[in-house]
Amino acid sequence: MNFPHVFTLPNCLALSLTLVLIGSYGVFRRRSLIMILLSVEVMLNGVNLSMVSFNFFRWGTQESSHYLYMLSIGVAAVEAAVGLSMIIVLFKNYNDITRERVAHLGERA
Amino acid sequence: MPVSPLVEITFALSAALILISSLAVVLIKNPVRATLLLILSFLPTSLVYILLQASFVGILQILVYAGAIMMLFTFVIMMINPAPKGGESPLAGVESAFTGLRGAVIGLLLVGVAGALLIPQVYRAAAQLPVEPVTKPGFGELSSIAAMLFEDPSNNPLTVSFELISFLILVGIIAALNFSRRKGAAPAKVDSISTRPTETLPVIKREPALDRKPA
Repeated sequence: MNFPHVFTLPNCLALSLTLVLIGSYGVFRRRSLIMILLSVEVMLNGVNLSMVSFNFFRWGTQESSHYLYMLSIGVAAVEAAVGLSMIIVLFKNYNDITRERVAHLGERA
Repeated sequence: MPVSPLVEITFALSAALILISSLAVVLIKNPVRATLLLILSFLPTSLVYILLQASFVGILQILVYAGAIMMLFTFVIMMINPAPKGGESPLAGVESAFTGLRGAVIGLLLVGVAGALLIPQVYRAAAQLPVEPVTKPGFGELSSIAAMLFEDPSNNPLTVSFELISFLILVGIIAALNFSRRKGAAPAKVDSISTRPTETLPVIKREPALDRKPA
């Protein structure tokens, strides 16, 4: 059976690059801060996928990328916690979490 | 490397599902649905990790990422419930729709051009890399990862950075507590720390009215 060989390193890297591009589109386009944080999570997902696929296809001697993945989700958890608590404080003070409101934080409302 | 049809089909379907649900996360309006779609995109991602012989990473993706971090997002979104703001006048609606459309076109052009420039380069560069398949016995198994995780730092300097994550989490806890502190709570704490003799220490009582006795 002549089956196309799609499970390759270039396809995995193209998938992760596309995820990063989709996430960057969300970061540039969305107005709500929560949606910007979600788009950052999409980008992080793409980066993690590229690390693990590099490790499987290129360096099969040690699981360094699994290690870096755990590091990365630790950083992502802290980032989500701090960012969401900042969003809650902004919502309590200004009742508005759009990008435009946060751009004028120093001014008097 | 032998080509297994099951692996190829699983990878292709997972990649399609990841791309579709990630696009929907970015494009959909409702934040709760966006969070649930992001969880949906994490499930095939963990399947791809399992195909990449990283089963522990795949389990972590579901347990920690989809289970804990996305739960935090869902909780916050449901707590503050950001209401969508409608335009008051029809002219404002048309104007905002026009600027939204213009922004969408510019963004899609930007991302599309970046993708069209970068993806062929990725294929060209990755085609020159020789594939070195996995040689380590028990690659990606829990015992193998644990042996690497608790290795002597002189052999593997990455272990120190993993321990340093705990300090980062500590800083995150302090920052989140500081953000969530109420405005009235700050001065009382400072006064109790300074312990100046002219001021009495605050008496802990349940009723807040009893705290503010006229001197």
